[in-house]
Amino acid sequence: MSRGFNRLLEAVVRIDVREIEFAEGTKRITGGVGSGVIISGDGLVLTNAHVVSPQAVEISITLASLERVGAKLVGWDHWTDLALLRIDLDAVKQRGLSFASADFGNSDELFAGQTVYAVGTPHGLTRTVTRGIISNPNRYFEDSRGVNGYETGSFNTWLQTDAAINPGNSGGPLVTEDGKVVGINSRAYIGADNLGFAIPATVARKVAAALASNGAISRSYIGVRPGVLQDLERFYALASNTGMLINSVDPGSPAAKAGLRAGDVLLNLNGRNVDGRFPEQLPPIQQSIASLPIGAKVILGVKRSTSTVELTVQTEKLESQVGEEWAFQKWGLSVRKVSRAYARENQLTDQNGVIVLGVQPGYPAGEAGLARGDIITKIGSEPIGALAQLKSIYAAYEARPEPQLVEARRNRRISLYVIKP
Amino acid sequence: MRNFLPRALLATLAALIASATPLPELFNERLKSVVAVEFFIQAETERQPVAVLGTVIDEAGTIILPGEAIPPNVAPEQLKDFKVYRPGSTEPSLAAYLGQDALTGWHFVQVEAKLRPMLVPITNYAAVKTDPVLSEELWGIGLRNKDEDFLPYFLSARVAATMKLPQKTAILGSDVAGPGLPVFNSAGQLAGLAQTSFGQNYLIFSRNQRGNPILLVNVEESSVVLLADEVLPNLGRIPQSVSGRPIPWFGAYGLQPMDPEVAKLLKLENQSGVVLSDIIKDSPADQAGLKERDIVLAIDGQHLPRLKPDRVVVGYFGQEVLRHRPGETITLSVLRGGAREEIKVRLGDEPKLAREADRHYSDRLGFTIREFLYADGIMHRAEPSRQQGVMVHFVKPGGPVATAGLRPDDWVREIDGVEIKSYAQALEKLHAIEADSIRQEFVLLVSRGGETSVLRVKLN
Repeated sequence: MSRGFNRLLEAVVRIDVREIEFAEGTKRITGGVGSGVIISGDGLVLTNAHVVSPQAVEISITLASLERVGAKLVGWDHWTDLALLRIDLDAVKQRGLSFASADFGNSDELFAGQTVYAVGTPHGLTRTVTRGIISNPNRYFEDSRGVNGYETGSFNTWLQTDAAINPGNSGGPLVTEDGKVVGINSRAYIGADNLGFAIPATVARKVAAALASNGAISRSYIGVRPGVLQDLERFYALASNTGMLINSVDPGSPAAKAGLRAGDVLLNLNGRNVDGRFPEQLPPIQQSIASLPIGAKVILGVKRSTSTVELTVQTEKLESQVGEEWAFQKWGLSVRKVSRAYARENQLTDQNGVIVLGVQPGYPAGEAGLARGDIITKIGSEPIGALAQLKSIYAAYEARPEPQLVEARRNRRISLYVIKP
Repeated sequence: MRNFLPRALLATLAALIASATPLPELFNERLKSVVAVEFFIQAETERQPVAVLGTVIDEAGTIILPGEAIPPNVAPEQLKDFKVYRPGSTEPSLAAYLGQDALTGWHFVQVEAKLRPMLVPITNYAAVKTDPVLSEELWGIGLRNKDEDFLPYFLSARVAATMKLPQKTAILGSDVAGPGLPVFNSAGQLAGLAQTSFGQNYLIFSRNQRGNPILLVNVEESSVVLLADEVLPNLGRIPQSVSGRPIPWFGAYGLQPMDPEVAKLLKLENQSGVVLSDIIKDSPADQAGLKERDIVLAIDGQHLPRLKPDRVVVGYFGQEVLRHRPGETITLSVLRGGAREEIKVRLGDEPKLAREADRHYSDRLGFTIREFLYADGIMHRAEPSRQQGVMVHFVKPGGPVATAGLRPDDWVREIDGVEIKSYAQALEKLHAIEADSIRQEFVLLVSRGGETSVLRVKLN
């Protein structure tokens, strides 16, 4: 192999993670194994968001020398399924360890049939190299629950490869023969033969840079879900290669407030023409909306039936439908905050309350009758607007256990329960 | 001493014994009150045969069938070819469907005149004067399937418990009659009507699985009996029309029982209540000023009873409402934020039900549309009283709209880019598409689970 490839091998790491999981009414520590690649001399490691999440409590990196060192999470972005870690450099120095860092290649120049290699830790088999080709350099793949329940894939397309990618390969690099990182391996169709997907280096590079400086990426949101126009151009009487179909508008979103409706066709955005005929064209359009400044006014040129209208939409900060999670162990109750996106998606009247993730059988919450999926809206006469409120009620309960009257919603039913010590 | 009993008393005893009819004789006599009923539910492209058991209730050949015999969304026009069979006979008699009673859930059917003389209404037998007691033995009739000529057979069991669910119901130790058929005591007096059986929990063991719990429901026999007291007063509720109307309407949604622990915390020990989760806008409950989270404690001055399981009180409340007619007023005692209020609700007329909705099936397009109902508005959190769009009732597998991805219960908002504001408008648009033989495609905008999408339907 090339010198570049050998150097790359020195930059690939195994990642062992222990993280908190809030399920079935309690807080549990679970373990997992993934891969990563060192991308800078100062020990930044790029991996998948589904390998290391903000709930990680212990991250350990196995270097090419098979020595283990600790690491900390620097930034996390589930939309592109990327996470950035920093190796504990003090430990590296103290123990006299060393590592190499990998270079990015240009993923935009990849072509179908080009040889690529996946390097990582499939099923815990440290330092495994598999070989394949680029099967498709521009695969559209969106999943609203793809990264441990978080949304992913709206803003990028993926590299598809037949290099064997198995669980544990996640976060490892997809590289060319000269050892340049062209993608971060993220997912595969389980049960299919060699259908693997990687985040293109072009995306990974930008996200890594933003995560390194800010720890997170903020995106703008207007609340439209696009659909493909393919085959519908004639129905909408459109000139070729123009427009993006609005398949759905989130209730209460900026787009809905501006009067945008499902079935409208977006022709231009701030005067720039939009072309969303094919699924592969949707992520770049979504990305162009996401990269607008938060709170900015956007002018949308929209075709509705035979007329064209201009609508002004003010962007909001993009949020996940997954809210903050917590467990109240003495109640045997684990919860997740209702987020704005969750409230909209489920047509709730407001974003008050916490969703019950699970209850532990035999503990007060379960005994009271609460169950997974209930939304706790009130304790006593106090509406639960923030998770912190519930935490302080719980703290008071811990100090002096007294029966708590709980109001919960399920679908449109309101039920009252009593959590008793 | 042996001749101590006077002769007169001995004679009386002998007469008593002679008058107690043996069970086989009672069985053969009571068979005249039970029938098997067959019919079809005609759907768009197929017919579903149904066979149930029924009980004869009057000289006019009226028969009641259990509420579960017909799914709630089936329109009366879809019910075809009612046939009535006597036990042990394969000779069908024709019958007509009369409708469903909202309070009891019973479906009523009337058999043709020529069979009527051979039938005996259950009202001809004396009913028990007191409820069956624990351990009392009751008996009833089961009927085999059609291929066995609806052969009747004898069942008996002892009363294990009596409960209010909310109607007085006896649970027997084992199956006592076919569901929908009468149950008698040893003297042949009517004790009640067998209901659809309760499920029983079993564990299923197999080579790979150890003890998986499953619920088994016996559909041929039942051990649950609605007592005669609850049956006889309602036999006169023969629907005035197949729609089953008039049906009263209250207008709250998602009624929940008040948990006993909650009652204690609210200082309502030993009281029962129903929480109103959602008050439908402009409904009678809304007009009366009822609010979300109100807890109903009493209706017309009567405290809601404490029934077990807790959720039975919701059924009780629903039944109390259904005992009234539209236009009548009920008075509710309501707990709102710690204070009690008396609220009078003037009941309205139940909005159009799915079984009464206008529908249209197009074979060429491969689907049935149904008018948008009040209940659809509630389901979709839309303004329920406003007509908007039409609902998809049926999608023919492999048909044009099925290929385009349309599914039953989708909400069609636009057809060919035109917003649908009424059923008639949708019908007109679809008729035009159907009639246009050179047409290649049309476009639907549909909502499903809060999200909309544009479907392009290719015609061939």
